[in-house]
Amino acid sequence: MNTVVKMILTLSSIGVISGGLLSRVNNWASPLIAANLKAQTEEAIFNVQPAAKTYELVKASGVEVYKVFGDDKIPLGYSLVYSGNGFQGKIRLMVGLSPDLEKITALEILEQIETPGLGTKVTEDHFRNQFKKLETSPMIILVKGVEPSKPNEIQAITGATISSKSVVAIVDDGISIMRELKKEGKI
Amino acid sequence: MELFIIFISAAIVNNFVLAYFLGICPFIGVSNKTSSAVSMGMATTFVMVITAIVSWLLYNLLLVPYKLEFLQIPSFILVIASLVQFVEMVIKKVSQPLYRALGIFLPLITTNCAILGLALFISMREYTFIQSIVFGVGAGAGFTLALTIMAGIREELELSDVPVSFRGAPITLIVAGILALAFMGFAGMI
Amino acid sequence: MAKHTPLSKEFLKGLWEQNPIFKQVLGMCPTLAVTVSAINGIAMALATTFVLVMASMLISIIRKLIPNQVRIAAYIVIIATFVTIVDLVMKARFPVLSKALGPFIPLIVVNCIILGRQEAFASKNTVFRSILDALGMGSGFFIALITLGGIREIIGSRTFLSYQVLPNAFEPWLIMILPAGAFLTLGLMLGFINMYTDRKKNLEKESLIDQYRNKTKSESAGTVAAQEGI
Repeated sequence: MNTVVKMILTLSSIGVISGGLLSRVNNWASPLIAANLKAQTEEAIFNVQPAAKTYELVKASGVEVYKVFGDDKIPLGYSLVYSGNGFQGKIRLMVGLSPDLEKITALEILEQIETPGLGTKVTEDHFRNQFKKLETSPMIILVKGVEPSKPNEIQAITGATISSKSVVAIVDDGISIMRELKKEGKI
Repeated sequence: MELFIIFISAAIVNNFVLAYFLGICPFIGVSNKTSSAVSMGMATTFVMVITAIVSWLLYNLLLVPYKLEFLQIPSFILVIASLVQFVEMVIKKVSQPLYRALGIFLPLITTNCAILGLALFISMREYTFIQSIVFGVGAGAGFTLALTIMAGIREELELSDVPVSFRGAPITLIVAGILALAFMGFAGMI
Repeated sequence: MAKHTPLSKEFLKGLWEQNPIFKQVLGMCPTLAVTVSAINGIAMALATTFVLVMASMLISIIRKLIPNQVRIAAYIVIIATFVTIVDLVMKARFPVLSKALGPFIPLIVVNCIILGRQEAFASKNTVFRSILDALGMGSGFFIALITLGGIREIIGSRTFLSYQVLPNAFEPWLIMILPAGAFLTLGLMLGFINMYTDRKKNLEKESLIDQYRNKTKSESAGTVAAQEGI
C-alpha cells in the first residue's frame, strides 16, 4: 500500500511540476511564435505584391486571400494562398494577382516536400520569375523543352516536369476559384 | 479520393521507414526473419491505428479546446505507453495464440518513434478523424511492407559473402539505402 | 566499480569508445533524418545534448525518490518536459531551423540514447558523473551528426555550413541529400569504422604475438646457449 501511495505521489508531483513549468515557458513563447508566423505571412504577402503597403484578410471568401493596398488605400490586387498535390506531397504557395485577376505579380512557394535538388527548383528564382507579369487568361500553359512564346506560358524545369506541372495546376485552380468569388461579389 | 491519396502517400510514397526514417531501431533489430518481421509489422500497425484514434480524440477534444497544445509531447508519449500496456493486457485475455505471436514485440513498440511520429503528424497536418484512421492504417502497412522486404533481403544476405567489418548494421543500412532509392520510383503516384 | 573510473574517462568514453552512433548504433531516426546539411546536424545535436544533460542531472538528483516500478514513466515525463521546452524555444527564437527540423525535435523524446543513458547511468550515479557522462554522449552524438551532415552537404550540395567549398564544375550528387543517401553514407561510415577498429585490434594482436615470439625465442636461445655451455 505504501509503495502504491508513493508511486502515485511521485508521478503526480512530477506531472504537476512539469505542467507548471511548461505553461510558464509557453506563456513566454506563444506570443513570440505567433509573431514569427505573422511576420512570415506578411513577408510573403509583400513579396508577391511588391508595390503594396497594407493588406487585409478577406473573410467571406472561404479561402485564404488577402486584399492589398498601395498608398492612400488604392487597391492593388490580391495575395492568394492555395495548395495542392505535388510530386511527393502537398505544395502550398502564395500568388499575387492584379485586381482584375488577369495578371500575376509574383509567386512564392510557402511549403513543399519535393525531391531535393530537382523538384525543389520550383522554389528557385529562375522558375518563379517566369510568373512575373504572366497573363492568366484563359489559363496558364506549361511548355516543355521550348522557350515560352505566348504571354501565358511557363517553361517546365528539366527533370522536374511533374513538380512544375503541379505548381501551374495549383495556380490555375486558385485563379479559377478567385474568378468564381469575383463573380459572386465576395472579394 | 483524398483518403486513397493519404493511404498511398503514407504506405508507399512517403514510407515511414524509408523516407521519414521513423522506426529504424526495430527495422534494424527485428528484420532478420520474415516471419517475425510480419508479426512485428502487424503489432505495430495495430498500435498505430489505435494511437491514431486516441491521439486524434485527445488532441482535438482536450488539448485544443483548453489551449493546452504545448502539452502534446508529454501527453502523447504517456498515452502511447499506457496504450501499449493496455493492448498487451487485452490481447493476453482475449486470445492466447495472438498474444504468443505478438507478445514479445509489444513492449518494443513504446520506444518506436514511428508511433509518436504518427501522432505528431496527425496533429501537425490537421487531419480529420477518418483521415487519421486511414493515415494510421497506411503508415502501418508501409512499415510492415518495408520490414518484410528488408527481412527477405537479409535472409538471402546470410548466404552471401559480406566483408567482415560490414556485417550487421552497416550492410543493413546500405541495403536500406538501395531500397529507399527503389521506393523513390513511386513518387509520381500522387 | 563505476566509482573508480577517472572523471575524464566518464566524459571521453562517449566521444569514441562508446560513441552512441558509431559504436552503440542508437538514436538512428534523427541521425538519418536531419543530416541533410551540417547546420541541421549541429542544431539537432545541441538540442539533444541539452535534453540529455538536463534530464541526466535531474534524474540523478531525484533518483532515490522515484519508486522503481514507475521509473520509466517518470523518466519519460521528465524527458518530454525538457523536449517541449526546447521545441518552444526553437519555435520562438529560431523559426527557420525549427521548420527545417520539423517533427524531429519532438521526436527527441523517443531517442533511445536519452532514455538509455538514464536507465544505464544517471539512475545509478552521482550528479557530477551523470552530467559528465551526458556531456560526453552528447558530444559523441554531435561529432557523428556533424560528420554525417558535413559529408552529405559537401557532396550533395557543394557547400559546407552554406559556404561553397567545391567548384561549380563538380556536379552535386543529388542522392546524398535524398533519404537513400543518408542510409548509404551512414552504412559505409559504420563499415569503414569497423574496418579501422578491426585492423587496429589485429595489429595489437600481432604485436602481442610478436612480443611473445621474441620472448620465447630469446628464452630458448638462452637455454640452447646454456646447454652448449655445458
